[in-house]
Amino acid sequence: MNTNLKISNVTKIYPGCVANDDVSLEFNSGKIYALLGENGAGKSTLVKILSGVVIPDEGKIYLNKNILKLNSPSDAKKNDIGMVFQHFNLFETLSVFENLIIDSDEQRENLKEKIDTIMKKYNFSVDLDVPVLNLSAGQKQKVEIIRCLIRSPKVLIMDEPTSVLTEQETSELFLSLKKFSEEGILIIYITHKLKEVMQLCDEVAVMRRGKLVSVSQINNENIESLANKMVGQDLKTIKKKKENTSSEQLIKITNLNFTSEDPFETNLVDINFSLNRGECLGIAGISGNGQSELFQVLSGEIISNKNSIEFNKNFIGDLNPQERREYLMAFSPEDRLEQAAIPQMAIFENVALNNFKSSNFFNNGLINESKIKEHSKKIISEFNVNTENIDLKSQFLSGGNLQKLIIGRELITSPDLLICFNPTWGLDVGAINYIHETLIKINEQNKSIILISTDTDELLKLSDKISVIHRGKLSKIMNAEDVTSEKLGVLMGGGN
Amino acid sequence: MIKIVKRDQPSKAIFFFTPILAIFLTLIAGGIIFYILGFKPFEALKFFFIVPIADKYGFSELLLKATPLCLIAIGLSFCFKSNNWNIGAEGQLTFGAIVSGGVALLFYDQEGFYILPIVILAGAIGGMIYASIPAILKTYFNTNEILVSLMLVYVSKLILDYLVVGPWSNPEGFNFPETRQFSDSARLPLLFEGLRIHAGIFLALAAVVISWFVFYKTYLGFQMKVSGFSLKTAKYAGYKGKKMIILVFLISGACAGLAGVGEITGPIGQLHREVSPDYGFTAIIVAFLGRLHPVGIIFASLVVAITYLGAETAQIFMQIPKYTGQVFQGMILFFLLASDYLLFFKFKFIGTKK
Repeated sequence: MNTNLKISNVTKIYPGCVANDDVSLEFNSGKIYALLGENGAGKSTLVKILSGVVIPDEGKIYLNKNILKLNSPSDAKKNDIGMVFQHFNLFETLSVFENLIIDSDEQRENLKEKIDTIMKKYNFSVDLDVPVLNLSAGQKQKVEIIRCLIRSPKVLIMDEPTSVLTEQETSELFLSLKKFSEEGILIIYITHKLKEVMQLCDEVAVMRRGKLVSVSQINNENIESLANKMVGQDLKTIKKKKENTSSEQLIKITNLNFTSEDPFETNLVDINFSLNRGECLGIAGISGNGQSELFQVLSGEIISNKNSIEFNKNFIGDLNPQERREYLMAFSPEDRLEQAAIPQMAIFENVALNNFKSSNFFNNGLINESKIKEHSKKIISEFNVNTENIDLKSQFLSGGNLQKLIIGRELITSPDLLICFNPTWGLDVGAINYIHETLIKINEQNKSIILISTDTDELLKLSDKISVIHRGKLSKIMNAEDVTSEKLGVLMGGGN
Repeated sequence: MIKIVKRDQPSKAIFFFTPILAIFLTLIAGGIIFYILGFKPFEALKFFFIVPIADKYGFSELLLKATPLCLIAIGLSFCFKSNNWNIGAEGQLTFGAIVSGGVALLFYDQEGFYILPIVILAGAIGGMIYASIPAILKTYFNTNEILVSLMLVYVSKLILDYLVVGPWSNPEGFNFPETRQFSDSARLPLLFEGLRIHAGIFLALAAVVISWFVFYKTYLGFQMKVSGFSLKTAKYAGYKGKKMIILVFLISGACAGLAGVGEITGPIGQLHREVSPDYGFTAIIVAFLGRLHPVGIIFASLVVAITYLGAETAQIFMQIPKYTGQVFQGMILFFLLASDYLLFFKFKFIGTKK
């Protein structure tokens, strides 16, 4: 029997962001569909709508021409839509079997039989009696899949399923998915990994900034073209004028490694690069490839081997961010509201987060409020933060103004190196321009920048050198003039 | 029709209003419970909340109970403000009492002005040692401080139990589970003849003043505030997280230890099995009812202290078990958490659409 799932004009607006903007899509069983997009492109919201977790503001969903009312996850289950989330929803201390039957009303014996048949049919080998906490990530995922299969779903949605899997587990998963598809289950596969799309899927829909960008047959696409669609094709050719950069080396990273205990983090493998004064090194990549970890290692939130980072002829790999600031480094993290600033605190208090010994914000352990306030006023006027009131809680600043405050806070102490991560993420055009001009200006003052960004336009506009991070590895460093967006696209997708 | 809307920002007025609302709701719910039990609600509440503090003696008792609550809650607010969930103050109190009691027993037949300061110091150190266990386990072994600090409460109570029936029991005490009486030099002086309120209250007041200063005027207070809002930001700012965790636990342990000293060198005068009627746990409620603000905690400790007294009066005059006091403490916390909903949401009255 054929299954037809249709999404029609779905819109979902969150405060300050349009997660889905008039999205319409149609899926038919027998094919594997990829939903591709960067983090924040809106694909997660869309699948949450399909699984009843999120209710759309506008638009309708049809299953086999019948309109679907999905007000809760149980509605989705009733309508034979199964969903495997990126983060598992399993009870760690219960056994596999208990996890499988927990939301079912059927008889235990019936279920046992059903589960056995499913396992045999798809060659799954999971011990039903062990507690889930003893399973590997791949096995846990199989449990989630079996839990969906018990209900013989018509639609199976997989959200970033390979992010925690090994290569071996990934290829096993792909085999199973292909088998499901042959049996007539409609499969929607959400990912930002281009290779997987090429390997597994028949059709691909690309989303960007809440909008559906394209729907196409996989045969008509390649990694490059998909990468371009994902990150935006409208490339401007404005590049920074190559000034006479000095050849004095400022920072050198040697054999830097980071291994995380968290399966949702990316390990960094053998990072090596160096940067001269007055240069901007852009680090491109699709988000989730180790950018956040790289930022933390560079800022000192993650401490590494002392000798792995040489800055201004000092080895500083084992210093924390505050100690690195004393050596004239400055940092602007990606997350403005949860890391770079504290929305519930006043502007001047947020300014005090970047604390140098010489700034005298805190004398003998006491807060020197007048000093901090004086400094804050200077930042506000020099960096055009649109407020007069430094006692204002920073949650009342717009994203652009908050980012100006953060960049101002980091730059007013004239550091030798600024490390920033997606500095213009979510900002309006005016604020983006301002930040870009500021970054170009500090390069002109012979100060250096490491710019980690998922925005290719931004990187091509600001960088002197560009490297691409993919799965925790940096590509070789290229001169920005020799780089095209196509080339970046290939590297970002893991090609050569 | 009433609609619930999210507030754009938590309102400052509501922040201090909800504790009062919580107390009010507790009184109503308490009245209903009394009514169901067959008492006249107003009379019962009067016995519970007004009779106990109607005279000089009652007021002294109120301050006596409020003192340890306030002291411990101040210490806990250092932890809670910085995202450290120390719920083992009862154990730190007990261990502080054990250490200071042990020191006091060394001097049981001596007099001298130097004894009391040593005893007090010993109590603070005892509390700090005990609080350092969950802190060190948390910082170096990633254990959960909630579990560790809670479990250690029972360990300390068992140690105390062992000491008062075993090695430290009074040789002339007919095998009662208690130690010798401390010498007068090891006792906190009484403030008024005939009343039990003692000099320990000054320790609590000093803690209030010092904590206010630390919270709002020092770098440590600023770092605690930042860590309380976002550990990610604290890390990014480069604060030494481990050092701070240990420090706030030590402060909190010292306060609880001092509360223990106050109990055994104040009204009790010796060690026995029950050095604290769960002050260490109740102080958690006090800390939150007082909004982790030193002045708020003073008021909260007075309010919660009444429930201890009221429970006793109610037991005597109305034959209600004294555990009613705990019921009231539980209700205060319950209603506080519930009314905190108002911090983030507000009710909007709108006309029905027709």
